[in-house]
Parts: sequence; structure tokens; C-alpha cells
Amino acid sequence: MYKVKILVVCGSGVATSMHAAFKLQQYFDEEKILVHIDGAGNNELESRAPNYDIIVSTTMVTANTDKPVFSAIALLTGIGEKELAAEVIAKVKEIMQEKGDE
Amino acid sequence: MSDLLIDVENILVNDTVQNHEEIIRKLGTLLHNNHYVKDTYTQAVLDREIIFPTGLQTTTAGFAIPHTDAEHVIKSTVAVATLDTPVIFKAMGNPEADISVTVVMMLAISDPKKVVDTLRKVISVLENEVTIEKLVKATTKLEIQSAFNEHMSNISD
Repeated sequence: MYKVKILVVCGSGVATSMHAAFKLQQYFDEEKILVHIDGAGNNELESRAPNYDIIVSTTMVTANTDKPVFSAIALLTGIGEKELAAEVIAKVKEIMQEKGDE
Repeated sequence: MSDLLIDVENILVNDTVQNHEEIIRKLGTLLHNNHYVKDTYTQAVLDREIIFPTGLQTTTAGFAIPHTDAEHVIKSTVAVATLDTPVIFKAMGNPEADISVTVVMMLAISDPKKVVDTLRKVISVLENEVTIEKLVKATTKLEIQSAFNEHMSNISD
């Protein structure tokens, strides 16, 4: 089965992206869906985005990317977190299905 | 044991400042005087705050978590300030939105990989209404320090 790759981005790749990535991983563990999650700084986004399926970012994404982008703020404050997780999970399932048919 | 601790010397309680720059400078001066950061740290935090603002609205209070790159830091820690009157920080992820901030947690991180778990626990304060209430109501540095320590020890690894 295709393993969806998610890049979690913040300003420097130091603080908030690691926390957001950890929180997101927990949701996928609960769903028993295998995904690959990496953290990165905003300056790496443009070069690394092509290798990932989904971008989740705590900063405004200004880099050019055709990948689906989600805001990670909910993963930091907890406000709207379940809704965000549900959206990302739905997108992951969609990508798994698409890639599975290839 | 974690090697990131909240030093009571880097805490300000019910402080009064005019704007976000002033509280970043105050905390940066404390961190520098207490040998946690280099003299380049404060300006680097201020510069970064313009490009990547760190205001975050939680369910009960506005927070800011200003920080910068590891090269400006000597020893990892978190400086904390609670404010008498909130000041405006721009919102993380949305520089057009204002957040009225009451609690500032300024992160000084020298080696992100070494402190990743502790850092995660510090950031998880934002989701914990009980800890936030303790921070906002604290009247002494020790109360702030113990609110953090309690929070950290309650979160499992």
C-alpha cells in the first residue's frame, strides 16, 4: 500500500513543526494508517515539497507548490484540532486510493 | 532528565510593557545577562517575529512564543512573561491578524534534537487550560515556574 508522505513546516524547522508533526502522527497511529511525516523549515519548503504529497504548515505558505496545503495552527492551540486532523486524514485516504490504482 | 529547565531568573510576572518589541527586549536581556543566549539573540528574535510572527490564540489567553535559530543560543531554556495589560503580536500563519497576548514564552533552543520532547511539552501548555489559568493568575515567579514544572511532569513522554 502507498505510504503518503507529509511535510510539516514552520519558520525555522525548530520548534512548532516538530510539535505539530508529533500531534499529527498520533492521529494517524489512532487510525492505524501508515504515513511518513517529516519536519522542515520554511526555507526548505520549495526544494523539498516535490518529494511529499501533503504540506502542513504553521506559517503562511508563500512558496510555489501544487501540493495540498493545510494550516498547522490548530495542532498547536488545540482549537479546531480534530477537524483539521479529519481533513488531513481524508486527504491521505484519497491519495492512498489514487496511488493504489496506479 | 531533561536539559531544558525554566530558570526563575528568566521570569517576569504581571509585567507592564508598551508593545511586543519591549517584552521581547526585556526577556532577551534577562536571557543574555543569565548567560543563556549570545548578544545577537534579541535582534534575531525581533527580526524573525516580523517574517514569522508567533502570536497564538488559545481558548483562554493570547500567547506568543518568539524564538530564533540555534546559532544565537548558548544553553536551551524558556523565558516566560505574564503581562499586566496585553500587547499585540501578529498571528502565527496569518500576519494580517492581531493576537492580544497575555503570556509570552520566549524559546532559546541551542540543539533542537536534544530537547525535542521537552520543547514539545512546553508548547503543549497552549492546549492546557488548567496550566494557562495558573500562569495568568500567578503573582510570583515561583508560581509560574511551578505551573510549568507541574505541567511538564503531568505530560507523558
